[in-house]
Amino acid sequence: MESQNIYHNKTAQWLSYLVVFVGLAFLPTFIDPFTLNQFSRYAVLAMLAVSVSLVWGFGGILSLGQGIAFGLAAYGMGMTMQMQFQDPESNPIPSFMLTNELSELPGLWVPFWNTEVGLLLALAVPTVFFVIFGALMFQARVAGAFVAIMTLAMLAAWYSMAYDMQPFTAGFNGISPPLPFDWLGVSFDPYSPITYWVALGLLAFVVLASKLVLQSKFGLIIQAIRDDAERVRFVGYNVAFYQVVIFAMSGFIAAIAGITWVMLTQYVSPVLLEVQFSIAMVIWAAVGGRLSLMGAMIGAFLVNGMQSYVGDAFQSTWLLIIGGLFILVVRFLPKGIAGLIETGLGYVPIGRRRSDSMSSNPARAAE
Amino acid sequence: MSVHDFWTPFALEPFLNALIVGLSIASIWLVAALGLTIIYGTMGVINMAHGEFIMLGAYSTYVLQSYLGFPFLLCLPAAFFIVAGFGWVIEKVLIRHLYQRPLDTLLATWGVSLVLIQGVRLVFGGEPQYVGVPTWLDSAMQIGFINLAWLRVFIIVVSGLMVLLTWWILFRTVTGVRIRAVMQNKEMAASFGINANQVYSITFAYGAGVAGVAGALFGAFKSLFPDMGSGYIVEAFLVVVVGGGQLIGSVFSAGLMGEMGSVFSYFTNDTFARFVLFTLIVVFLRFRPQGLISEAMTRR
Repeated sequence: MESQNIYHNKTAQWLSYLVVFVGLAFLPTFIDPFTLNQFSRYAVLAMLAVSVSLVWGFGGILSLGQGIAFGLAAYGMGMTMQMQFQDPESNPIPSFMLTNELSELPGLWVPFWNTEVGLLLALAVPTVFFVIFGALMFQARVAGAFVAIMTLAMLAAWYSMAYDMQPFTAGFNGISPPLPFDWLGVSFDPYSPITYWVALGLLAFVVLASKLVLQSKFGLIIQAIRDDAERVRFVGYNVAFYQVVIFAMSGFIAAIAGITWVMLTQYVSPVLLEVQFSIAMVIWAAVGGRLSLMGAMIGAFLVNGMQSYVGDAFQSTWLLIIGGLFILVVRFLPKGIAGLIETGLGYVPIGRRRSDSMSSNPARAAE
Repeated sequence: MSVHDFWTPFALEPFLNALIVGLSIASIWLVAALGLTIIYGTMGVINMAHGEFIMLGAYSTYVLQSYLGFPFLLCLPAAFFIVAGFGWVIEKVLIRHLYQRPLDTLLATWGVSLVLIQGVRLVFGGEPQYVGVPTWLDSAMQIGFINLAWLRVFIIVVSGLMVLLTWWILFRTVTGVRIRAVMQNKEMAASFGINANQVYSITFAYGAGVAGVAGALFGAFKSLFPDMGSGYIVEAFLVVVVGGGQLIGSVFSAGLMGEMGSVFSYFTNDTFARFVLFTLIVVFLRFRPQGLISEAMTRR
């Protein structure tokens, strides 16, 4: 064990999170609203990368279906925001439904009149779905590539539903609520600092809560299951239960991301449920480092930032770049950028005595 | 959208026609999944670039036909060898180094698929390309109320022939004995003097080549896009997984899935049928993760 590496020092880890989040919180003083909106979006995508890191890097479950939770929550939020615009008296039905020959609001949409109920549904439905779906898979001891294929199939199924149920989802066109999200007397204009802070705050919440969970006994068991599920089962733990919980947690995080995404874009479409998008999340986590929440977060910021800025200049070769990068990372850097940092910090001598306090901390030790 | 539009009532002749269409869909899925079955069944590698191998097969057919004037029938074997060559190189350069990390092969091959899609888009452009077919494949077969394009009949025949050829190679040749030995136990096979790495190379190249033939066939009835492969990948995987990674299993699962999909979409509509089918498969895999047919499970 590299106990001398400051990378594994718990205090240093928490300090680095503090520095990063406080630093990011001051961004609105430096940049224009458009760039700020970009950064809010990266924060949401970083939540997705963190959810992948949690379930795949630490839980050993390669889920290619994170988009299910993201997309379902996004639709829930889109419906909530659309209904905020509608008026029960004068304008009770979204206009796309009228063009699809619906004469009254479908029952599926009725609960979304109420913003609180809408938000609750947007979070609860994907999470409950992940609990059921996860229980289905993990009780049957489905593992490895099979989980990847099953989540992929489920995602493709939801995609075709969102695409096809035109009267309810506006199909390919998607739902675009005309007004910013309005709640508790605040209007969350996508380009305002408040919205950015909400997105950043949610990201911080997600990352820090995940980190706490991973440092707990639960987190240790999860990582033990990743390393050898059979042994953990033999010791007497209910492996399926732990896997369902971590899977549902990642789904919940993706759902939070889905809600925030719609708040930032005022637009939902089946694109959010595309297979490519869900695999892109895995790419971000892999590039940043699946064994580190911070790494996954940085991966999302970096890849998406590159896509926005480098991608414009090299539009036709962007996929070549990202594909090649991904191949190289998987082949030569399985721990991603975080792995590089870990190795780099390994050479830094630690002058302080802090090193003895963490010599018995295996929580972050990879594999 | 009322309930009556959604639910088509049963009628014998259209229903039988749906069964025939199901057979055609099954043959398409089978031919798309065949190469994947071989690669997954033998090596346990999940090749996400399989759809792009299909796409490469289609584009090589297009190039051979438009620029070199190859007749369509000759393009099928040519596409096999071209794409098999691609597969061989990719196995040597990338896949070979990841055998110890099966989940990572899934991710690395996804990277390969992105590169292939964009590479083809840079060379041929994003606009659709077309492959011409001989006139005798251009018409439709009409027997009684059954109406099926000859091209679809042709695909059914070719997929059957390819299954037979693969079966023959696996079970009637020395190479096949080697492949099956490595499939059952790599270390044991190696200790009997079989060059397992070479077997993997050959298997991967053969699987890629079969995908190339599939691409040549698909190019004949659909226009060619750089990302056309992604439309086949999910179905192809499900065929393989439901079939248990066995050749026979894939034949059965493709047949079953094609027919069920066609019957569901006869009663409802295409996308809803897809949703029901995929959900059923997920539930099926929960109760039988080893798939329809599983031989001695020595590898996994």
